[in-house]
Amino acid sequence: MIHRALLAAACALLLGGCGVGPGDATKGVDARVTDDFGARVVGAAAAEETRGEETVMRFLQRSFDVTTAYGGGFVQSIDGVRGQGEGGSVDWFYYVNGIEAPKGAASTRLFPGDRVWWDRHRWEAAMHIPAVVGSWPEPFRRGSGGERYPVRLECASGADTACRTVQGRLAAAGVTAGRAGLGSSAGRDVLRLVVGPWAQIRGDAALNQIGRGAAASGVFARPAASGDTLSVLNRAGRPARTLGAGAGLIAATRLGEQQPTWAVTGTDARGTLAAARALGTRTLRDRFALALDPAGRPVPLPAR
Amino acid sequence: MIYRRRPTPLHAARAAAACAYLGSLLLVALLFEHPLVLAADLVAVLGVIVLARATPALRTFGPLALSLALLIALVNPFVVREGLTVIARLGELGPLGRLDLTLEATVYGGVLGLRAAVLILAFVPYSTAVDPDGVLRLFRRFGFRSALSATLATRMVGVLARDARRRADAQRCRPRPAGRLAMTRAVTAGALDRAIDVAATLEVRGYGAAGRRPPGTRTPWSRHDLAYLAAGMLIAATAIAARAAGLAALRPYPTLELSTGPLVWALAGLIVVAAWLPFADRRGVAA
Repeated sequence: MIHRALLAAACALLLGGCGVGPGDATKGVDARVTDDFGARVVGAAAAEETRGEETVMRFLQRSFDVTTAYGGGFVQSIDGVRGQGEGGSVDWFYYVNGIEAPKGAASTRLFPGDRVWWDRHRWEAAMHIPAVVGSWPEPFRRGSGGERYPVRLECASGADTACRTVQGRLAAAGVTAGRAGLGSSAGRDVLRLVVGPWAQIRGDAALNQIGRGAAASGVFARPAASGDTLSVLNRAGRPARTLGAGAGLIAATRLGEQQPTWAVTGTDARGTLAAARALGTRTLRDRFALALDPAGRPVPLPAR
Repeated sequence: MIYRRRPTPLHAARAAAACAYLGSLLLVALLFEHPLVLAADLVAVLGVIVLARATPALRTFGPLALSLALLIALVNPFVVREGLTVIARLGELGPLGRLDLTLEATVYGGVLGLRAAVLILAFVPYSTAVDPDGVLRLFRRFGFRSALSATLATRMVGVLARDARRRADAQRCRPRPAGRLAMTRAVTAGALDRAIDVAATLEVRGYGAAGRRPPGTRTPWSRHDLAYLAAGMLIAATAIAARAAGLAALRPYPTLELSTGPLVWALAGLIVVAAWLPFADRRGVAA
């Protein structure tokens, strides 16, 4: 009886990813470290192959000079750039493939191809920023937690050109996306890109959060209910500028346990097309979200 | 544990010197995390226990120190998420999250356990070889009444323990055990009797004179006092200087970094030799 129990426990441990030693290496991971919502790059690191099964924290510690607190579960400083910790409102946050991790960095395992982004920022205006666009083409290419998810492109009527542009950008990044109309039911495990003018896509339950401000969606932009204007918000979550006709927005948010939903939108068709054309690694790198003014110039969010 | 005068140099030393000496061994354990220095401190403390004939007390404190050291050493790798050298992966453990045991957390757990053992064991010679009245006399000038109360309380522990044993013997002789009320009455009456005895004794010895302290006696410093004081100061000064100079440093995380070299060994050797040396002079110690 005891032998059986021990055997069962051993099997459970083995199946649960247990073992002796560092485990199998993880291939092709990289990390970026920035300050103030991506405004300043602190450093970057990449590894062709890690030394074994790696956690986000260990990879960070191997690549940067890191100080931690609470038994190694909380990052205090990276390369001398310190968070304020208890009592402060500036801390280090991390995103894996553009998704805010639900667990501590010491508990989050890295999978092949994962892109980790650490950013130190003020969190008073938005306690949670569930998804960011700065790791494009992630999470569409690698998914999250080692699992790839189906990608679905939902296009508003009349936004065909923008939609084709987005599909082309996804294809160029090696992502095959299915297409569906707005309002199609989506399961929890589908990554969605919703393309169209704000007035048409604002009814989407996930994207509707963007209209409620940074605290609700983690996006520092707030389109007007009519969709005619777009308020870009500063770090405090207050309007910094209002953009009119021809403005675009690329933002990501998340509803509950669903996978992230991206919005490629604008105040009108022109703005939406500008946003679709802005999809790319160079434009989106280190951006939490990106607005485009009527002249097509990028406005990193939150605005300065 | 009760202090009992024994024929050893440490017992012969005055409380101030013995406290400074043992305090220096505690200081080493608090200042350093280097395993070699802590091991040397442990060896020094164990030697002091043997040389001060305090080995019987190890029966009580040895298992306590060992079990606490093992507990700390075992728990640390499970609660600390630091270290880069993974030696075992325990997978996802519910609310604890992913648990990987690292070499660094395991080694540092051992270091913390070793330090706890040294700190506990350093109090063995203090409890058995340092006159508690002498210690309290040190504090008399700062708080005479507190020192007196503490002295009496220390003395009363043994007296009350003997009372309890006698009462237990008496209980066993009864055909039926006494009720709780009767026991409480007997214990209270006994404690009050003791208190009245102590008060009367203090009165007779002149402690009742308001605010007046009994005259202190000045005893010249013996060679043992000087030897233990010198040893304690040497250990403390060397430890502080070495710490300030960054000698024998240990950086446990993210990867274990341990300073080695002849100076670290010299520091370890000095701690042991300086701790044992005062015991070499047994002149004037009654056999």
